[in-house]
Amino acid sequence: MMLRNVFVKSLWDQKRSLVWWCLGIGLMIIITMLFYPSIREMTELNEIFATDENPLMKVFVGDITDITSPEGFVNSQLLIFMVPLLYLVFAIGIGSGSIAGEEEKGTLDFLLAHPLTRESVIVQKFLAMNFAVAWIGVFAWASLVIGAAIVDMEIGYSRLAAATFSGVLLGITYGGIAFLFGAAFGKRSLSIGITGALGIGGYLLNVLGPIVGWLEPFTKISPFYYYSSSDPLANGLDWSHMAVLLVVILLMGGMAILSFRRRDLAVG
Amino acid sequence: MDSVISIRNLTKNYGKNVAIQGINLDVMRGEIFGYLGPNGSGKTTTIRTLLDFIRPTKGVVSVLGLDSRADSAQIRKRIGYLPGDIALYEKMTGRQLLKYIDGLRGGLDWNFVIQLAERFEANIDQPIRTLSRGNKQKIGLIQAFMHAPELVIMDEPTNGLDPLMQQEFYRLVEETNKKGATIFISSHIVPEIERLCSKVGIIRKGELVAVEEVEKLKEKALRKITFVFDMPISKEEFESLPGVIDVEVEGTALKCTIKGPVDALVKAASWHKVIKIISDDGNLEEIFLDFYAG
Ligand SMILES: Nc1ncnc2c1ncn2[C@@H]1O[C@H](COP(=O)(O)OP(=O)(O)OP(=O)(O)O)[C@@H](O)[C@H]1O
Ligand SMILES: [Mg+2]
Repeated sequence: MMLRNVFVKSLWDQKRSLVWWCLGIGLMIIITMLFYPSIREMTELNEIFATDENPLMKVFVGDITDITSPEGFVNSQLLIFMVPLLYLVFAIGIGSGSIAGEEEKGTLDFLLAHPLTRESVIVQKFLAMNFAVAWIGVFAWASLVIGAAIVDMEIGYSRLAAATFSGVLLGITYGGIAFLFGAAFGKRSLSIGITGALGIGGYLLNVLGPIVGWLEPFTKISPFYYYSSSDPLANGLDWSHMAVLLVVILLMGGMAILSFRRRDLAVG
Repeated sequence: MDSVISIRNLTKNYGKNVAIQGINLDVMRGEIFGYLGPNGSGKTTTIRTLLDFIRPTKGVVSVLGLDSRADSAQIRKRIGYLPGDIALYEKMTGRQLLKYIDGLRGGLDWNFVIQLAERFEANIDQPIRTLSRGNKQKIGLIQAFMHAPELVIMDEPTNGLDPLMQQEFYRLVEETNKKGATIFISSHIVPEIERLCSKVGIIRKGELVAVEEVEKLKEKALRKITFVFDMPISKEEFESLPGVIDVEVEGTALKCTIKGPVDALVKAASWHKVIKIISDDGNLEEIFLDFYAG
């Protein structure tokens, strides 16, 4: 394969990791979907969920009233927690390493010895991160479609795509935050730490908001709110919510350029 | 002659720590310039400023007449650079890496790349992570020279190379220089600079303490000379000669150290019957040690 720019080279670096992630996320989704037929019959579950006031439950399966419906099942078993968790871990892993990883290894000096502007390196690496997360998203979507077909679930492919798209944007948002911190400070673990904390914070804020009254107004600062509150699986995409995530992503990329071009590079 | 590297009043601080201070330096087109200094004296700091990896606290730097900050990418298009502690993409093979750079730079003469690899007996088909230190350095050298740059900047280039490869490297530098390229080398190895460079800048504790032609410096160098005569001679005869320091007589042998021209000493010796003369080539090392010690 011809590696002729930083974008392609960055993806080439991820090729093995991409294969494993696709495999992992695909298996996880399909295996989960296989449980649907047994859940579908257990309508009494819905009453349990509806009457159960246990807040911990809502933290991990969402505020669910109808777990036996296709949307209820997929949302509660996959889209509320597990799938976005995987997107986040994957995206933060790539985002934090994009600049800081090369800087810590010392290869950034080598790369920038050639005629590339720092802006161009940032843009290409940022796009590569976006592409990799989207790639994982495509596999997740395909696995949802395949899983749904296997268990004969009545759910539209386009709705699955909408929910996946929303998840990919959520992943890229956090990947972008990790990218920014890596580009600004050149320290991978710092970037993972901060972004990981923001991820957990954002998640909890979004799920606890509806339960803990005083948190409610703050849920809107959580990216998770824009990911799931409109329930893309049931209602399709809410473009205003997607726009919020897109703006945050662009902002992270822009700030990464600004902070990276101002500072000294470390020698690794 | 035009100035290829021009450093004006360059200072770099890391917090309160001063890495280099008030450096003024011109490297002219066609020179092989040696940048010599002990560990931690600021060689790498200076070089990384030329490449715009770090930004001056004070001062301005221009390379090939272009501003080191505003025109950095243009500068880097025209120069070759070998980092001091080279880190390469470990997963790639040398070939993949060099192809990648070809992609980034465009328009490389691939035959020349292969030629360089053969010259250095570089293994370019094995993942870089499996290469030894010296073999990685070879890949680093190839990428610094392969696009026939106008200026090659190298930070301790012979790091890890065996003596044979060092010689090959010296030859490459000389050839490249003959074709018109300017070479800037940092090192703390005096004989290397002596062997290779036309001019040398000596940096100590962040300050440039001397810039001089290597030939001129050699004239000033201390030489150890031994004369063996056919009969014992007296020490006094030689002690007062200009430039002579440190005279020792052992039987018929006279050992002395001389700084500068040897003419007077040789003429004085010729009053006697000389059997043997042993002289070392002016040793720069001592001059540098002098400079280093301040
Ligand atoms: N990132 C940094 N932060 C703080 N101090 C630094 C940094 N980089 C270099 N220094 C300091 O600046 C001074 C000059 O370092 P530099 O690396 O330029 O030396 P050098 O001449 O290249 O040494 P060597 O021969 O060991 O490579 C040293 O005192 C070093 O400790
Ligand atoms: Mg150094």
